[in-house]
Amino acid sequence: MLKLACQEQLLPGDTLQAKWDFAQAAGYDGIELRGKGDLHFRDRLPELRRALADGVVMPTVCVDMLHFFGAFDAEQRRDAIEQMKSQLSVIAEIGGLGAQTPASYGMFSRRLPPFEPPRSEAEDREVLLAGLAELGEHARAEGVSLFLEPLNRYEDHMVNRLEQAVDLIREAGSDAVRIGIDSYHMNIEEADPAAAILAAAPWIGHAQVSDSNRFQPGAGHLDWPAWLGALDAVGYSGWLAAECRLTGDPRDAVRSVPGFLRRAAG
Amino acid sequence: MTTLLQSGARDTGCDHGRLRAAAASVLLGNWNGTGTVPSRSLYPHQWSWDSAFVAIGLRHLSPRRAQQELEWLLGAQWADGRIPHIVFNPAVPAGAYFPGPDFWRSSAAGGHRGAPAFAETSGIVQPPVHALAAWLVHRADPHESVRRGFLPRLAPKLDAWHRYLAGHRDLGGHGLAAIIHPWEPGLDNSPCWDAPLARVTPAAEDSYRRVDLDHSVAADRPTDLDYARYVRLARDYRDSGYDDAAPHAFRVEDPGFNSLLIAAEYALADILRAVGGDPAPALERAERLTAALTTRLWDAGRGIFAPRDLGSDRLLPVAGVNGLLPLAVPGLPSAFTDALVTTATGERFGLGRTHMVPSYDLTGAAFDANRYWRGPSWFNTAWLVHRGLQAAGTPVTRRLADDLRAGVLRDAWRSGFAEYVNPHTGAGRGIKDFSWTAALALDLLAGQQEDL
Repeated sequence: MLKLACQEQLLPGDTLQAKWDFAQAAGYDGIELRGKGDLHFRDRLPELRRALADGVVMPTVCVDMLHFFGAFDAEQRRDAIEQMKSQLSVIAEIGGLGAQTPASYGMFSRRLPPFEPPRSEAEDREVLLAGLAELGEHARAEGVSLFLEPLNRYEDHMVNRLEQAVDLIREAGSDAVRIGIDSYHMNIEEADPAAAILAAAPWIGHAQVSDSNRFQPGAGHLDWPAWLGALDAVGYSGWLAAECRLTGDPRDAVRSVPGFLRRAAG
Repeated sequence: MTTLLQSGARDTGCDHGRLRAAAASVLLGNWNGTGTVPSRSLYPHQWSWDSAFVAIGLRHLSPRRAQQELEWLLGAQWADGRIPHIVFNPAVPAGAYFPGPDFWRSSAAGGHRGAPAFAETSGIVQPPVHALAAWLVHRADPHESVRRGFLPRLAPKLDAWHRYLAGHRDLGGHGLAAIIHPWEPGLDNSPCWDAPLARVTPAAEDSYRRVDLDHSVAADRPTDLDYARYVRLARDYRDSGYDDAAPHAFRVEDPGFNSLLIAAEYALADILRAVGGDPAPALERAERLTAALTTRLWDAGRGIFAPRDLGSDRLLPVAGVNGLLPLAVPGLPSAFTDALVTTATGERFGLGRTHMVPSYDLTGAAFDANRYWRGPSWFNTAWLVHRGLQAAGTPVTRRLADDLRAGVLRDAWRSGFAEYVNPHTGAGRGIKDFSWTAALALDLLAGQQEDL
């Protein structure tokens, strides 16, 4: 049985409670939160606690910042790690499962000028392993997971495919670091997305869904039955969180996702 | 086990959710981007009837992949209409399978018959299950099928395939398609072919090297002598330029091959109707084939259909599972169906008391419980018998079908999706994680009640 979440910014309503009403009516089982920087997410704790008390299901948070633990700049890196630690603590406090982050986003692409990043691959790896180890330790202590999200080559130059994430997680050595897969990025990067899921199965902890064009599932040309079938085949019991842009009437688009995915899952 | 089967219990002995997940894992693991290999180890290319059976199961996992499976196979169809029994993957080393592309030399030896220049294939064929598979795949997700133009693209290719069989393979002149190699009916080393095969001069042992024994136990595979004769037949056909009118040392009308052709003709008629074409020629061929099947291949004494050796123009005195496959012929007169059910449940096949359906007569001198098609039970023939029993529609045949379905699922699970099983013990033989075993288990799990 699929467990479906929708990211909060996609849901209409001024409060989490109102968004939850809409989400439930549409067939979602939870809301994925977004974690801004400057400890904004921590400052939302009273709001999150009230929502929790009102029955809102919030399993995960996805980072919503412009610098990340793989940043070139040491200060930004340090800040990103502190922000992620805080987000892991907050999501633990409200009974959630974990927080998702890429290594970086929008910082550098080897496919765009100037093509060669200012840091070597070996240095990238050192930075990522150090960050994953520190965040993994914090996540473990909080009883939650850090979900490392491979992004496509145009958005990140360090972790693009599931196998790269597996390699880093293995070496970082923390069971509290898992992969947060994303169907959109996988469609660009994986030769066979379903086979990639099979190969990385033990490390997959979370999943985000959007179609080939980044719109809501059903609006593009991904082979959803194969993708979902692979998750089912490996016994994946985590969440699928809609992280996407919307095409068509926004409310209708959001409403369409649960029915579409459940039908595609067979 | 026997008690369980006789009691009519439908317990499959496994968790269906886990079985479904395991079957899906096999199919996803054996997918190579455009089609499915029967096995990663033993069969690294695309096989014709394997792909058809795989598509029938894959439609429950990904209708798009199921369509691609058939499209990719038919992409290597010859211009004369034949669908070759193997399409070789150019990324696999030539020596990984024997006989490989260097043996068949299709683009050179078959070029004048329309063998593709862009892909290497074998030159012989396998049973024509493809139109049936295409129709079932279409029905699994008609919207996706229409969106991708699946049927309009496949219909002329399937029509050409059936016309090839009708026009080039009626070697007996009585309306049935003939096979010219024991691999063509798919039951490679069945005792059914022993007598006509014995007339074939074997190829010299030092003229080729088998590689199937690198991956499978010799006692489960065809013997060296059989293999030498297979090589000789294939080599002679190749050297004739894949000429169906050339003299063939082996010419047989097989009830299994022709039954599947009849079922496929009806499916083609459905496909042609769906795309606005004329179904009449396919329906006429189906009726003619059925008439020829029942008059030429019925062995009243044994209560089973039998292959006819065109060398002697006599029915072969054998009882193989291919003789039960007319159960899957739509509209087969009930006198035949009743007799086949009696034979299937009798001592020769022990349906309900053995694991699935043995590939050969349990009482026959040539029966071998472990050796490939000389006795072991296979999942595709069980699926076809199940389909026929279900379509027969009597309380007895429905009960037999339900029991057989449960048995197939149980054997698939316990054997790790084996290629075939010992009919007495259910022990898996050959290789595991075999694609059509997983696919057909998935299909039976889905419980689709398809109209024949």
